[in-house]
Amino acid sequence: MASYCSLLYAGVFLPIVLLAYGVMPQRHRSKVLLAASYVFFWSVSGKLIVFLLASTLSLHHCGLWLGTVQDEQTAALAAAPREERRAVRARYRRQLRRVLAFALLLHIGTLLTLKYAAFFSTNLDRALDALRLPVSVPVPAFVLPIGISFYTLQAAGYLIDVYRGSMRADRNLGRLALFLGFFPQIMEGPICRYDQTAHALWEGRPLCWQNITFGMQRILFGFFKKIVIADRLNILIQNVFAEHIQYDGGVIALAMVCYTCQLYMEFSGTMDVVIGSAEMFGVRLPENFRQPFFAQSIQEFWMRWHITLGAWLRDYVFYPLSLSGPLKKLTGAARRHLGGHFGPLLAGAAALLTVWLCNGLWHGAGWQYIFFGLYHFALILLAGLTAPLTQRVTAALPGGRDAAPYRVLRILRTGLLVCVGELFFRANGLRAGLSMFRRMVTDFTLQSVSDGSVLSLGMDRYDFFIVLVAVLVVLAVSVLRERGVPLRAGLARQHIVLRWAVYYAAILAVVIFGAYGVGYVPVDPIYAAF
Amino acid sequence: MKIRIAAHAAKGACFLIGLVVLLLAASWLFMPKNNHKAFGFTDEEMLAGGILGERENSINVLVVGDSEAYSSISPMQMWEEHGFSAYLCSTSAQPLYDSYRYLRQAFTHQSPRVVILETNAIFRTYKLRDYVLSRAKVLFSVLRYHDRWKSLSANDFGGTAHYTWTDDLKGFRFHSKSVPADARQYMKPTDAVQEIPLLNRACLAEMIALCEENGAQLVLVSTPSTLNWNYARHNSIAALAKEHGLPYLDLNTMQEEIPIDWKNDTRDRGDHLNYSGAVKVTRYLGRYLKEQYGLPDNRDAADYAAWNESLQHYRNTVTRG
Amino acid sequence: MDILRSLRPDVDFTSCRDLIDGRYLDSLIILALVAELEEAFDITIPTACIVPANFNSAEAMWEMVTRLQEEG
Repeated sequence: MASYCSLLYAGVFLPIVLLAYGVMPQRHRSKVLLAASYVFFWSVSGKLIVFLLASTLSLHHCGLWLGTVQDEQTAALAAAPREERRAVRARYRRQLRRVLAFALLLHIGTLLTLKYAAFFSTNLDRALDALRLPVSVPVPAFVLPIGISFYTLQAAGYLIDVYRGSMRADRNLGRLALFLGFFPQIMEGPICRYDQTAHALWEGRPLCWQNITFGMQRILFGFFKKIVIADRLNILIQNVFAEHIQYDGGVIALAMVCYTCQLYMEFSGTMDVVIGSAEMFGVRLPENFRQPFFAQSIQEFWMRWHITLGAWLRDYVFYPLSLSGPLKKLTGAARRHLGGHFGPLLAGAAALLTVWLCNGLWHGAGWQYIFFGLYHFALILLAGLTAPLTQRVTAALPGGRDAAPYRVLRILRTGLLVCVGELFFRANGLRAGLSMFRRMVTDFTLQSVSDGSVLSLGMDRYDFFIVLVAVLVVLAVSVLRERGVPLRAGLARQHIVLRWAVYYAAILAVVIFGAYGVGYVPVDPIYAAF
Repeated sequence: MKIRIAAHAAKGACFLIGLVVLLLAASWLFMPKNNHKAFGFTDEEMLAGGILGERENSINVLVVGDSEAYSSISPMQMWEEHGFSAYLCSTSAQPLYDSYRYLRQAFTHQSPRVVILETNAIFRTYKLRDYVLSRAKVLFSVLRYHDRWKSLSANDFGGTAHYTWTDDLKGFRFHSKSVPADARQYMKPTDAVQEIPLLNRACLAEMIALCEENGAQLVLVSTPSTLNWNYARHNSIAALAKEHGLPYLDLNTMQEEIPIDWKNDTRDRGDHLNYSGAVKVTRYLGRYLKEQYGLPDNRDAADYAAWNESLQHYRNTVTRG
Repeated sequence: MDILRSLRPDVDFTSCRDLIDGRYLDSLIILALVAELEEAFDITIPTACIVPANFNSAEAMWEMVTRLQEEG
């Protein structure tokens, strides 16, 4: 089971788990989910499951440790006279902070070592080489357990929440284990917070017909996005990105748009399968996408794309950093000198930079990812700096800032900027990315279209046609969702003949127009590799 | 409560039945209407599927297996020397579930007396996913041929399949190139036994049952290969053959009967035999089959005239080199 | 209330109850807001309090401020 979008997962594994879950009495249902989760993890990562188990145990222990210190603090505060409370609180704060630091080091340290040790030692080695020092650094190679980038963030979020006292540490090891390792979300997220999912997962809610049908609809839609669109685009993307020197700017631009489309269809399609799977068990996972390509600015884009990662970075990196002592003082000072807009912007920029470096590095250990993070940081900062100016200019436009043509223009501009970012993201290294970008701008021709060679890149005219139709279908669904039309509830109200016709059509569309079998290379789960 | 569950279960079952009907209809629509690649077969399927174009009940010996089979056994040579008809349903890197599938397919309109399974495929491992998918493809061939939506024609609607093509080499693939092998470590005796993958054990049991049902004798044959064969595998298959009472020929241990010269008789350093190696293997195997199973001599039969024509083509291929 | 008005003059703060969830206040404005509130009421707003529930309406913010003042 290397992917959620597979017959083995949706056609065999999930039905078996559902059945086992359904026939069990309520108090054992959570155990079914936990066992299924470990079977799933083991089938993907084998022995590396010890990492997940170790993380779960240490998370449980560290959480309780923080809880004990907090209980002591409460007791000490109650006993202390009013004027000493500040000192008592400060003392315990220091202690809590040490425990948290230790726990975070344990979890994030493991991630850093496994994921980044090779990258940092390679670059250190290069730096030493450049300085002509006769020292060489050994480059370690680790195999990453699947989903470590996702469950580590969940673990860290849990620890910080307990530390802050916004929730109590969980004594129930099983519940914590299921929160961390729940099989639909272990590979590619969404990154859940403990208070969002843990209790719902452990409750063992009874199966209900509506949840199951709604879940299946969502899974089917995810399959459609992944197998009909993302997989069909794959060969072209692989060819162009691997041999980019051979192609002119027009082809590179085509591959760039195709890749952005593939990334969205793959990731959001997988999320549909993931969220749909959880929905079948009556659990609502947080959404990861909200029609990102309708965003009017890069900042808004990131509130619609991979939402749970952005929220995590905001809550656990951005706010703590920008509200830390020194930066808070800077904000205050800057506000007095630069005013209400530029003041916080300047101080926030430092925290924002950290967030985007984290965001880039989280995707992988490579310069192209760091560049990707900085690229979005620069765009957001630029938008912030020019905001007063653009506001004044656009206010003067006929129809004002929210006139339809101007909105469409902003959506297109944002989409283009995102595409360029993804070009660097996908390129085989930063150097290749820069060279592709340069060629795209300086050597843009439509020759491949006029001489027909565009059809020899791995997609024939039928492939382009079917991708276009499928994208239009997804677009139509997105427009309706953006307008807040409750699609699934609407479908449920239709006559059974129409409803079933829609299901059958969707299933047959995936079976017939899916890009699988001889002659196709399905795209590996992109985000599972991060 | 109980009633509601029953009602939902009934509804779900109806939905599934409808889905199965639709998938079967689609499978029938997308099924290639002839066994040539112009009609939607892949190259490999076409060579192994040439048997579909043979006259009903005309094949005496059927061979399934991977590239070892189509590199080592030449039906046309057996025809020339002994006059019985053999066909190889072998494809490169054939997983055992495909061997089973080709076997089933062949039995629908052939009744061979002997079925040979080349044993290398027994040790081929694959992912559970591929196994499940292959099973699903047997049920619903639309999963295999779905890409034909690009080339559907009016003929596909309403027409039934009519297979007309067959291979002159009867599944054998001719390679004259020779790259010598290092045979020093080859077939060193040992007591070790290589484990047979679990799924393949199940598959073998099905193949044995299928052959029994159709009155065919299953024979296990290990063709010579320095890279793929060794004593641990030999021991494993010998035990298996004993367990099920099947005849087993390990041609790797018959240097005297089949004098393979590893300098000249392999095309890729001992992985596969070339034509001159195949001639030696086929000479022995043909005689063995003829003597053991009393296979008929059809060379002068009128309804096998096409085989004598194929022999001419085979001879031309060989002399052209 | 004056603080809010100075930061986003175009939003009606008396009636709006989804300042965060409705995306009227972004993270940078929150930063400025926190700085202002801390200065004006002499409190420290810990990171744990930066959750949408505390900033979704002017009343919620006022409740948070009073609570923090009491804790001292």
